[in-house]
Amino acid sequence: MRLVDTLFRSGHLSDQGLVEAWQTGNRPAHLDQCELCLDRTVELTRWLDEVRHIAVAEADAAFPPERLAAQQAQILRRLEQLDRPARLIAFPNARPAQHDVAAGTHWHRWVVAAAAAGLIVGVLTDHVTMRLADHAQQAAALRRQAAATDASRASDDDLFSVDFAARPRFEALGPIDDMTPRASQVEPIKVSSNR
Amino acid sequence: MTGANTPPPVSSKEADARVAVDVKAFQAAGQTDLARDRFAELVTRHQRRAARIAYHYLRDAADADEAVQDAFIKAYLHIGTFREELPFEVWFTRILINGCLDRLKARRRRERWMVSPSIDPSGTERDPADYLPSRGPSPEEQVLSAERRHQLSAALSKLPERQRLIFMLSHFEGRSSREVSVMTGLNESTVRVHLFRAIRRLRSLLAGGGAKSVNEGRSSRAAR
Repeated sequence: MRLVDTLFRSGHLSDQGLVEAWQTGNRPAHLDQCELCLDRTVELTRWLDEVRHIAVAEADAAFPPERLAAQQAQILRRLEQLDRPARLIAFPNARPAQHDVAAGTHWHRWVVAAAAAGLIVGVLTDHVTMRLADHAQQAAALRRQAAATDASRASDDDLFSVDFAARPRFEALGPIDDMTPRASQVEPIKVSSNR
Repeated sequence: MTGANTPPPVSSKEADARVAVDVKAFQAAGQTDLARDRFAELVTRHQRRAARIAYHYLRDAADADEAVQDAFIKAYLHIGTFREELPFEVWFTRILINGCLDRLKARRRRERWMVSPSIDPSGTERDPADYLPSRGPSPEEQVLSAERRHQLSAALSKLPERQRLIFMLSHFEGRSSREVSVMTGLNESTVRVHLFRAIRRLRSLLAGGGAKSVNEGRSSRAAR
């Protein structure tokens, strides 16, 4: 028994002394003389045994034999994988694949560019053609208007023809219309005044 | 009085050492199949003990399962560094404990950012077993026993990790202070202090579980 126990515990073993005695297995001589400390020791031992029993049972319940067997199989499988690393399969060379993809993209771009260019050229051509046609129509209209003006100056009767030129045309009457001479195309007959 | 430091049979230590030496030799010779076969003997012999240690240290069966697997893999890979003068189980337990410690650190880092699933939205802690379907009514004894187990489990969980580890190795595994000191890398007197504190704390947590201090003992004696 330690001196400190004698001094501070009125001659009884301290809790730490009891635990040490339990742990080392060295039975203090004091236990032979002190019934109180013997009771405490027995009680401590019983309590520790109970704790151990419960804790071990709890752990064993969490790891039943089936789980341990599965665990062992898993350990051995992992060890086997470590000893026999997986065979490396050569990865397909990335360069030709990239080249093919690039070539595909290249052609695709050309096709898209050509289509776009064709569309633009078509639109522009259409636009220019329309404008030229408009100009030609406008010029013809102006020419007709100018001719009509000249005719109106020449004779009052030509007013009719100007109105005729300006009036709307019907397609069905086109051939007859073509056969009919225009007033502007007819030479006025000049009559001499000195009879 | 139960001797907590009853040494395991010498023959098992010798057998472990012999197997470890064989594994080392087979590995060196490139006979990995034989090395694995021999190592499987060590796994069989120490697996349950390792599972208990990891389970009590980590308090989670899945984590403990992985920790045990990792420890055996590490032991196999580093068996070349095993010294025959040290018992294999002490060497292996140290590997296991270091692995468990790493897992605890990783878990703490995770828990810093995540809410534990064992905590209800209301904030009350629930045992993961509560989420499992009930197996029907149990006899009274089973209920009481389960309650006692639950109390002890909760009390063990409340112990600081180091105290829990030392208590477990000393008491559940029956290791001496010296062995625990080698396993944990702590000095022997620190191991003894932690063991005493663990017991004292457990007894106070499980008040009424048969724990009596000097004063309690004296008063009960007076009552008699």
